[in-house]
Amino acid sequence: MKNLIYVMACLCTILTSHGQAQEEIVLSGKELFGDLQARQIGPALMSGRINDLEGHPTNNRIIYVGAAGGGVWKSFDGGATFKPIFDEHAQSIGTVAIDPKDPDNTIWVGTGETWTRNSVSIGDGLYKTNDGGKTWEKVGFDKSERISSIEISPNSSDMYVGVLGALWGDSEERGVYKSSDGGKTWNKILYVGPSTGCGDLMMDPKDPSTLYASMWEFRRTAWSFSSGGNKSALYKSTDGGKTWNKIHNGFPSGKLGRIAIAIAPSNPQILYAVLETEKDKDNGLYRSDDGGANWKHLNNDFGLVVRPFYFSRIVVDPKNPDVVVKGGLFGSISRDGGKTFKNLGPMHADIHDILFDINDSDRMYVGTDGGVYRSWNGGTTMEIVPNLPLSQYYHISVDDAEPYNIYGGLQDNGSWYGPSSSPGGVEARDWNSIGFGDGFRVLKHPTKNIIYSEMQGAENVWRYDVERDKVKTIQPLPVKGDPKLRFNWNAPMAVSVHQPDRFYMGSQFLHKSEDMGNTWVKISPDLTTNDPAKQNQESSGGLSKDNSGAENHTTIFTIAESPIDEKVIWVGTDDGNVQVTRDGGKTWTNTVANIQGLPKNTWCYHIEASNFNIGTAYAVFEGHTKNDMNAYVYKTSDFGKTWKSIVTDEIYGFARNIQEDYVNEDLLFLGTEFGLYITVDGGKHWNKFTNNMPAVAVHYIELHKKTNDLIMGTHGRGIIIIDDISPLRELSQDVLQKDVHFFASKPTIMVEESGFGGGSTETQFVGPNPSKAARIVYYLKKRHTFGKMNMEIKDNGGNTVMELTPGKSKGINVVTWNYMIRQPKVAKGKTFSFGGFTSPRVPAGTYKVVLTKGKDTYETDLVLEYDPSSLLTAAEREEKHNITMKLYNMNEELAYVVYEMDEYIARAESLMKEDAKAKKTAEAVAKSLNDLKDTMVITKGDNYVGSAEPQLREKLSDLYSKIASGYEKPSASEMQNLQLLEERFNKAKADFNKIKEKEVSKMNTYIQKNNLKPVELKSFEDFLKI
Amino acid sequence: MKRVKLFAFMLIVAVSSAHAQDADEIINNYFENTGGYDNWGNLEGVKMTFKVKQGGLEIPVEAVQMADGRQYSKITFQGNTIMQGVYDGKTLWNTNFQTMKAEKADSESTERQKLNENDFPEALYNYKDKGYKVEFVGKETIEGTETYKIKLTKEPVTVDGEKLDDITFYYFDTENFVPIAQETEVLSGPQKGVIGQVTFSDYQEVDGFYFPFSMTQGIKDGGSSPITIDSIELNPTVSDNDFAFPEGE
Repeated sequence: MKNLIYVMACLCTILTSHGQAQEEIVLSGKELFGDLQARQIGPALMSGRINDLEGHPTNNRIIYVGAAGGGVWKSFDGGATFKPIFDEHAQSIGTVAIDPKDPDNTIWVGTGETWTRNSVSIGDGLYKTNDGGKTWEKVGFDKSERISSIEISPNSSDMYVGVLGALWGDSEERGVYKSSDGGKTWNKILYVGPSTGCGDLMMDPKDPSTLYASMWEFRRTAWSFSSGGNKSALYKSTDGGKTWNKIHNGFPSGKLGRIAIAIAPSNPQILYAVLETEKDKDNGLYRSDDGGANWKHLNNDFGLVVRPFYFSRIVVDPKNPDVVVKGGLFGSISRDGGKTFKNLGPMHADIHDILFDINDSDRMYVGTDGGVYRSWNGGTTMEIVPNLPLSQYYHISVDDAEPYNIYGGLQDNGSWYGPSSSPGGVEARDWNSIGFGDGFRVLKHPTKNIIYSEMQGAENVWRYDVERDKVKTIQPLPVKGDPKLRFNWNAPMAVSVHQPDRFYMGSQFLHKSEDMGNTWVKISPDLTTNDPAKQNQESSGGLSKDNSGAENHTTIFTIAESPIDEKVIWVGTDDGNVQVTRDGGKTWTNTVANIQGLPKNTWCYHIEASNFNIGTAYAVFEGHTKNDMNAYVYKTSDFGKTWKSIVTDEIYGFARNIQEDYVNEDLLFLGTEFGLYITVDGGKHWNKFTNNMPAVAVHYIELHKKTNDLIMGTHGRGIIIIDDISPLRELSQDVLQKDVHFFASKPTIMVEESGFGGGSTETQFVGPNPSKAARIVYYLKKRHTFGKMNMEIKDNGGNTVMELTPGKSKGINVVTWNYMIRQPKVAKGKTFSFGGFTSPRVPAGTYKVVLTKGKDTYETDLVLEYDPSSLLTAAEREEKHNITMKLYNMNEELAYVVYEMDEYIARAESLMKEDAKAKKTAEAVAKSLNDLKDTMVITKGDNYVGSAEPQLREKLSDLYSKIASGYEKPSASEMQNLQLLEERFNKAKADFNKIKEKEVSKMNTYIQKNNLKPVELKSFEDFLKI
Repeated sequence: MKRVKLFAFMLIVAVSSAHAQDADEIINNYFENTGGYDNWGNLEGVKMTFKVKQGGLEIPVEAVQMADGRQYSKITFQGNTIMQGVYDGKTLWNTNFQTMKAEKADSESTERQKLNENDFPEALYNYKDKGYKVEFVGKETIEGTETYKIKLTKEPVTVDGEKLDDITFYYFDTENFVPIAQETEVLSGPQKGVIGQVTFSDYQEVDGFYFPFSMTQGIKDGGSSPITIDSIELNPTVSDNDFAFPEGE
């Protein structure tokens, strides 16, 4: 036995030591990224597409929003403000449901939006919370893609889920499912085929065994859409889903499309259905007054028949069965039981859901392509909820302004640009509109104040002269001999870093202009497959024709001119070609056949031409429109002759975009359907970045050359920035093996600015600014939990100027220092001297950061520089600093004088109590000192309008604060004021000395003579420490 | 060869026993390892002095928490004393910053404070006796470190007229069983619904007990303010006057 233990011990040692020598450190994102935080800056002013609204059944303060691409948001205040509660999971939401048995806590979320436009995101199952949204667990339905409905029995453990299912392919995970154990196990109880899903499922509010299910046969491809078929139908069950019968009595015969269904809560026998049929005259609203046994066609106005795949939602007032609201282009409301309708009040178009308040039907909430709107008068006047940053970017770009601007286009919300930071935060008013319709790519001219933007299908490509506020449309037009130009819905454009006036656009051809779009030349043949089977958009839509241009296919989708050589241009097409020219477009090579493992005709979403090597490029493909949800990312180093996959199993969801670092070739950023992934080793391992970064679809990534900020255009959560990713460049096995590693940092500019700004109201979204403080960034191999760890900043004389609290996390820590020293110690008074809250800045220079962790110390340098935009000359700055510190010191000196006086006064008062004979001597001390003190500090009043007249302390600290927090040299007026205060202070000190020599001295003598407790004063240095 | 297999087997046993951690084990381990379960129960009170840092501003605070629920935080700044969160067993009060006078907290806040009376030394201590519920949620990486996540549900509280669950999540380092973070939902005000987060580090011994001497307090995935503890005194001497609402001021 002894022997065995010995062997095991040896084995253990061998294993460990072997491990230590060889072991590669592979960290998850949560272990690595530490304090690197994403910054969400919105915008929220145009918000984004909403899929579903849900209200608490008994508490009208609680409202849930299910966004099409931006997760679940909860309002605790009746829709005034919303907070995100589902950031860790798929952000595309189909439906939110509240368990009526436990409405405060048990909430279900079915992911995957259900208004199936071309650009929809995907979901990945059903989720549940038992604590009102603080923690979520996934229940299943991993392959459901889109969940349309969740119905929960109010009095049993029965619940039902309607799965719409896959949009771009067959799937058996569709139909209606039932659980009789509160969601633990599920049975499929209604299924009609692999291409037909459950569009809507309703439970009779008074009889939970009565259910209505609308089944919809539908299919999308990249180039077409089809709604309707023989399998679409409306079913009813009265036995909890055991048996289902079609309820079509009164419906037309033939194929049906998407069917909307609603039950009047106040009378569940009254049903409304909206039908998509073979004939226009039969489309629209049907009503049943007998629980679906018979239907009557009431209305086929535009608002009732428009785009059924997008607007099949009908909602009945909870109190009045004759008030009906239908989603649509504008939204329609009827107050006569569905006979006639009028539009809802003006708001963003494309209405997807409506929620009535449970107590007051005049209060309504409406979910649109542009956020949530509230009404207080039954839908006539609508106001937007201004704090839902759900903007859905297709693309972004940045400029080199300071602060830099971010440009981009949004789903159904035009094109915009706005700053990455702004005084008071990035507010609604900081964003500028630069395009109508659906916005996509927006590019700034590299040198001129010109912006290019576009709308869907390049119907308009705008060249906007910002300064002169002039605009011209410049899209390439067909010329003699051209076939029809095929532009993608999201048509590609590119500018050149080599020729600033050069501008590219892609149809099936690559078009080039050398004069900002006035003259166009085709520099390629048709680079697509030109497959005619994918070009028949006119017949797209199924029962309802839908040729919006969204399905245009066999087009160029991405253009990348090499930053190294302008003659090398890459083009990727939506039908799966990767073309490259090395001679500026004279000859082209399709390299896609050289890619191993890529399914044919997979959409080439992005090509990134490398900054490091002329033949190197990255290509990102995504096949979700072929029902293929895998990530495909390849790298070539030889102009596409060979390609290597850089995808690992760590990546979840398909990818759309990749960004190469400018410094470290192995540092890459990948935007996927479910968030951001980062590799520091060229794709051997990928880490998911989750610090304040929701699992949102990242459509485009930029890396800012000057600031090293990573900027993401997300399709549902607006612009998200990770400020200064430069520490990631240093991450290597060598660094990861170290206990502590300081990352190099650029010198910090000590910014001088007014501090004015910020005009948003309480409920408006404001995006946070980046910190302007100095950053000390370091890696810890292990979290520091036990024992002391602290951080000091020392000047070049070795004096500690500031103590900071270091971060303790495993991974990357960021500690900030606002280049200030501690505030001055200010004299004790009855009220606050607010000027004394000001801390002075340190001079520019190199400071030492000393990190002490247990017995070990680690050091790095920190360089501070003055703001180049400063108004101060070197001499003026020195003068300002000297005067600031003089006043700082005067404040502390006054504090000490007042402290001395207080000590004498206190002793005098105690002396009077303990010794009646000392009264006269002590009283003289107390009186003379109190009289003097009244002129030195405020001794009465309060901090508001009951304040007393300011005295020396207040005047000194105000002047100190005025000069310390300003960015100009002290003015003549300030210097005169200083002189006045100095004289007053000197006089006060002289008066104090006189009292000390006379009254205090007498008291001390008395104390000494009578052997009483003397006055003990701390030294000035010790006084400052307390 | 057999021996190698046995070794592998033992490793598996060790791993699965770690998985089998339940909430009570984790909580007991924490109290046992940081002072002893019974000793924690014998503590009568704790006084801490610490600094809250905000930019260049350092604000010194003295905080006392007694076993019977009495508590105060005293901020001394420019010679002014500001009392915050003072509770004498009946009344919860604060100093008003404008008038510098004591003002009673609203009745809902006071009621919530009453419910917390029995939370010394920690809400988790003897949680069953208080009728609280504890649940092991799972493992989670926080501060880059693997932790056991535990959910504590206390009595419901009333906020703005609504009865709400009072839930706190604790994150215990799987290596040493001390909590390194704690999260609670903000229940009132404009931040309602946001998750507040406190982190703990620099655990050091004080008369046989381990306390975190460094904390940060803020919003999850948002900004936070550091708190550095200068000293901790156990079983401090206090008088009723320290907690009493100054009537008639």
